[in-house]
Amino acid sequence: MLAYTVRRILVSIPVLIASTFIVFLVVVNSGDPVANFATSRQPAPSKAAVAAFARHIHADQPAVERYWNWITGVLHGDFGPSVQSNLDIGHDLFTRFRVTVTLVAAAMLIALVLAVIFGVFSAIRQYSAADYSITFVGFLFLAMPVFWFAVLLKQAGIWLNEQTGSTFLGTIGEKSPYLEVDTWWNEFTDHMGHLILPTITLALVSFASWTRYTRAAMLEVLGSDYVRLARAKGIRRGRVMTRHALRTALIPLTTVTALDIASILGGAVVTETIFQWHGMGEMLVTAATTIDVYRLMAWLLLSAVVVIAFNLIADLLYAVLDPRIRYD
Amino acid sequence: MRAHSSALTKGFTLAAGLTLVLAACSSSGGGSGTHKSSSAGLSSCGTQGKANTCNSAATKSGGTFTYTLEKNIQQWNVQDTNGNTFENGEALGVVLPQVFVPQPDFSIALNTDLVTSATQTSTGPQTLVYKINPKASWNDGTAITADDFIYYWRTNNGKDCPPPPASDSTQTKGCLPQSTAGYDRIKSVTGSDGGKTVTVVMAKPYSDWKQLFGAGYPLYPAHVAEQLSGAKAGDAAHMTGAQMTKGWQYFQKTPPSKYTTAGPYKMQDWTDNDHATFVPDPKWWGAHKPSLQRLIFKVITDATQEPIALRNNEVQGIYPQPEVDLVKQIKDIPNVTYTIGSGLNWEHFDLNLHNPVLGQYKALRQAMFTALSIKDIMAKTVGQFDSNVKQLGSHNYVPGQAGYQDLVASTGQGSGDLAKAKKYLTDAKFTGVGTSLKTPDGKAVGPFNCRYTTGNQIRQSECQILQSDLANLGIKITIKPIGAADLGTVLAGHQYDIIVFAWVASPFPSSNAQQNWVTGGGGNYGGYSNKKVDALVSQAVGETDAAKAATLLNQADSLMVQDAYVLPLYQKPTFLAVQTRFVNMRDNATNVGPPYNTAEWGLKK
Repeated sequence: MLAYTVRRILVSIPVLIASTFIVFLVVVNSGDPVANFATSRQPAPSKAAVAAFARHIHADQPAVERYWNWITGVLHGDFGPSVQSNLDIGHDLFTRFRVTVTLVAAAMLIALVLAVIFGVFSAIRQYSAADYSITFVGFLFLAMPVFWFAVLLKQAGIWLNEQTGSTFLGTIGEKSPYLEVDTWWNEFTDHMGHLILPTITLALVSFASWTRYTRAAMLEVLGSDYVRLARAKGIRRGRVMTRHALRTALIPLTTVTALDIASILGGAVVTETIFQWHGMGEMLVTAATTIDVYRLMAWLLLSAVVVIAFNLIADLLYAVLDPRIRYD
Repeated sequence: MRAHSSALTKGFTLAAGLTLVLAACSSSGGGSGTHKSSSAGLSSCGTQGKANTCNSAATKSGGTFTYTLEKNIQQWNVQDTNGNTFENGEALGVVLPQVFVPQPDFSIALNTDLVTSATQTSTGPQTLVYKINPKASWNDGTAITADDFIYYWRTNNGKDCPPPPASDSTQTKGCLPQSTAGYDRIKSVTGSDGGKTVTVVMAKPYSDWKQLFGAGYPLYPAHVAEQLSGAKAGDAAHMTGAQMTKGWQYFQKTPPSKYTTAGPYKMQDWTDNDHATFVPDPKWWGAHKPSLQRLIFKVITDATQEPIALRNNEVQGIYPQPEVDLVKQIKDIPNVTYTIGSGLNWEHFDLNLHNPVLGQYKALRQAMFTALSIKDIMAKTVGQFDSNVKQLGSHNYVPGQAGYQDLVASTGQGSGDLAKAKKYLTDAKFTGVGTSLKTPDGKAVGPFNCRYTTGNQIRQSECQILQSDLANLGIKITIKPIGAADLGTVLAGHQYDIIVFAWVASPFPSSNAQQNWVTGGGGNYGGYSNKKVDALVSQAVGETDAAKAATLLNQADSLMVQDAYVLPLYQKPTFLAVQTRFVNMRDNATNVGPPYNTAEWGLKK
């Protein structure tokens, strides 16, 4: 398995280079940040300032040369200059990644646990009232736009705060700017209070789709010959479900969750915007709207690495879940 | 520009609006409900003569007030072209001193905490004398002296600390001031009376001299720059370009929590992309001692989330660009007072005179502007939440400023007078008027594109009304949105026939006019050129008498109106909402924003 892992990592390097090069060319040709700089300020910057800005963001160099300088710079930890003066892209990237991971981690864990529980339960009790209820709730959350659901949750949170006369549930940011009494406990509860609403938002949306996958996979497995054989041999139902059926049913869910988590780590754009968490999603939107080439490339690079890593993790998990798979 | 897509914004707005409907239903259904506040505190701000004094009350000590910034502050040197942002000006105004401060009524007030007087003592050569308040000092105990003024002048004049050379891609070997206007006309800045009197002698006269050393661009501590660059203390006059660059760079990268300041508050900490915390500065010598225990500027980059944060008491004051849904949401929050004001931002249609047809025929441009009904535009856009909005009649001033004159209305431009518009065309021998317009030499007029920033519903409506009105002249208009990041490309590349966007007027209009209307000016994207206008604006910039300068600018404006290059539509509304338990906040639509008087903010007694 180690050799397989190393081989996969080596194969991903040309994939990264090719994808970043193509995107770099697209981004560089998608707009003119120098023109934006020259026209978006009042008073308009001097010609010297515009020329200095163009040099600063390397807009005066050919695209291929810029790409080469960028990719070699990245190897030395230099992610290039931003259109935003003073912005250290590397620092910004990892700060924002930490913010997004904080936001996403709990939500994904909750969504995964709930999806497995309710998906399995729904499959076992197919066409029961419980199955219909879970299916209804699943489709409800799937159909509900995230921005709508998030705003509803915020309003509900405010209502709860008003009823309890507190501001426990925060709607903006990771934490309050200040605490009247600054203790670790207050800091912890403040952070939790800000985490609850966005976590519910993200968790329920992922939960909805993952439950459907789990239910479908479980139903397929439950109808397979080896499960019926196991039951015919007299193995207890619980043991068949957990040791034989669930383990196999988790394989497709592993693929889906790995890809979903990887993409959400690239930025939960809507949730981050509504709850004002300054994470990867905000970075992507800001970089795209300001044609911040190197910032966009940094985002892409990290996102691509995360996607490749999670795909690899998913492949390795197959071997754990399915004894027939061996990576030799 | 906000960092999210227009689709997202629309979605959030819609969701917020619908949610409010649900919330309203649920509260009334529950019987208890919430009670809409009377907007007493700020409601008088729209009354003539009240802009500077409305919402006034005595304060008691204590309390934390959190005010919203709509963008992160990445660069802390507001004098630098990259750091010249509204949010930076708002935050630095709390802790750094400036000579004149723009007021809510667009007048300019002397900051007597910094200088006891600032007078023009001679017009030949123009000489300015500033008497620094004897008590004025940085909070490390260093007195504020002429040295701070000299450092300011030398870093901003474009000569003593020149821009980075072409070989410097890092932008770290020189100063890039946001504007050298005025500073490049100064011959000398000298100190006397132990540095407490500053005498400025101009090489060339400058009408907007009150803009110097302030007006949103405060002084930085020269002694900090001298110390870190190795220059002799108190000798800014002899700092080298490299030494000044070091100071310039330091103030770019360093939030004012890290160096000595001189304001009613000091910045206690800055958390990047999140908030700044200010606490009263015990060294503050000024007339108003802050009564708040703490002042926080919180970064919220999505305006649609601001009313929710206000309702949840996470912030106590917001200053977003108003929209129908946003205003409705605020109206429903209890104990919040708000005001819709008329700002310095003004919406306008620009014609691209690089287009050969638009550039050649003045009569065509006059007809187009006359056929357009600004009344219709206002009724279908900002008039829906601001009943006081009026057609703007000047390219240089807004109502309330001393020099304002309506020079547009009398020409019929923006009136929607179709008969008059057609007469312009028939008199100039155009054919196909009202059907398919052709120039006197038989060439088709149009189709022209009307461009607006995508996702901006108001501007889309403005283009649609233009399209409808000009169809009556036989001119076809196609509406073409501009990508969120492409406005600059479109303007600089002249990739439009007609475009709608906003300019920011200034309490100092001469410099603005030079930028926007003079041949080859940095903001003259449409290629307008009129030698008489150039001469009049140039005269205005050099006129030391403010009244005469205004007369000259208005003369230039009359010519511009006749040339029908830019049609002013209306002043964009501004919107300030604060909790009623806090007082002395006012809408200040200039570049200093509502925090122009943070020392007075506080809990109502």
